[in-house]
Amino acid sequence: MGLHEVGCIHMRENLQSAIDRADTENFDAILMGYGLCNNGLVGLHARFSPLIVPRAHDCITLLLGSKERYLEYFNNHPGVYFRSTGWLENYTNPENLSQLSFAQQNGMHMSKEQFIEKYGEDNGLYLWETLGAGQLSHYDKLTFIEMGVEPDNKLEKRAECEANNRGWRYEKIAGDLSLIQRMLDGEWNKVHFLVVPPGKVIESTHDERIIASS
Amino acid sequence: MINNTPLYQAVLTGDATAARSNTEQELAKGADPLSLVTGQMTPAMAEVGRRFESGEFFMPELLLAARAMKASMEILRPLLADCNHKPIGRVVIGTAKGDLHDVGKNLVGAMMEGGGFEVTDLGVDVSPEAFINAAQEKQADLISISALLTTTMMGMKNTIMALEKAGLSEPVKVMVGGAPITPQFAEKIGADGYASNAVEAVKVAKQLLKIA
Repeated sequence: MGLHEVGCIHMRENLQSAIDRADTENFDAILMGYGLCNNGLVGLHARFSPLIVPRAHDCITLLLGSKERYLEYFNNHPGVYFRSTGWLENYTNPENLSQLSFAQQNGMHMSKEQFIEKYGEDNGLYLWETLGAGQLSHYDKLTFIEMGVEPDNKLEKRAECEANNRGWRYEKIAGDLSLIQRMLDGEWNKVHFLVVPPGKVIESTHDERIIASS
Repeated sequence: MINNTPLYQAVLTGDATAARSNTEQELAKGADPLSLVTGQMTPAMAEVGRRFESGEFFMPELLLAARAMKASMEILRPLLADCNHKPIGRVVIGTAKGDLHDVGKNLVGAMMEGGGFEVTDLGVDVSPEAFINAAQEKQADLISISALLTTTMMGMKNTIMALEKAGLSEPVKVMVGGAPITPQFAEKIGADGYASNAVEAVKVAKQLLKIA
């Protein structure tokens, strides 16, 4: 989780390593629960088992159920920041990845206090506003994707609270597990899944297919 | 030595307050506005670029230098307009339609201005039509589009096609950049240039416009 933060090269290395370690004797395919994630999937090799990859720019497609639903929502809400049940409940950046994160590598990872301590009050505040909080300066909405597995409404309340704290509008929409379910059930239609045969490599298509293999 | 002047140092070290006051002091002593830009600020920004490429400076240092330069330029820009100073080129910049991430674009704009270009910044979420209209209005030589998402980068091609349809592909070059952009993608969509960071963007822009 959170591999998109380390940039596409390290994400690819991590995933390839996991693919290469997979048990290919007792299983017929490797299911990839990832989106393209800013090209983190590009260059991944299928070794002895095929890779099954949903056609998705990022995980939000997996949570919304289809790339079509994702694109429609994205095009109608350009300034939206997504939160989901799983991200709110489970996301912590593993220690061994934080050093590699794009933010860390580029001096963008600090808190407001750390920026001020390193660069002085005036410059520190400016950098915090530009690089820290400022990366989301044009966002104006938080959308909570409710997956239907929550035991109570605590996560929803957290999402709404975050929206209020940031001064953003808030919306809750229903997630759709059918894409993930079909991946698990082996229903890999060509429109929504890429099956990468052994020996082939994932590439980005820059069109509605999102990914292909060659 | 140029690199000992207070204004040069203020820009290099990212001190916006000092850049502003040093600019005012220099002007009060009778300095020519254009010579402050070409003789001190542009070399300072070039040194900033060199230190970024050598791994000494990172994004924070680039941003602070750009901020210091902007502080000085706020004072100098009207004076340069008064003396009919011509920029080395005219650039329209913005992020692709649907993309709201502008840190990279802001840096590119600042480095381009520091490099002597006139920059029109259209902000974020810029449609192909808006790019074309601005390029025509400003008689731009170059459109620079950035994107941070694989979702929005696909739309960069629309601006290139719109330029072609308007018959402007020859006079107006297009360069692209951003985290998911690659040289192969730039070539695929027919862009004239690609840059992997703000410092390289200035070099590529000069190459495209055949500026030394």
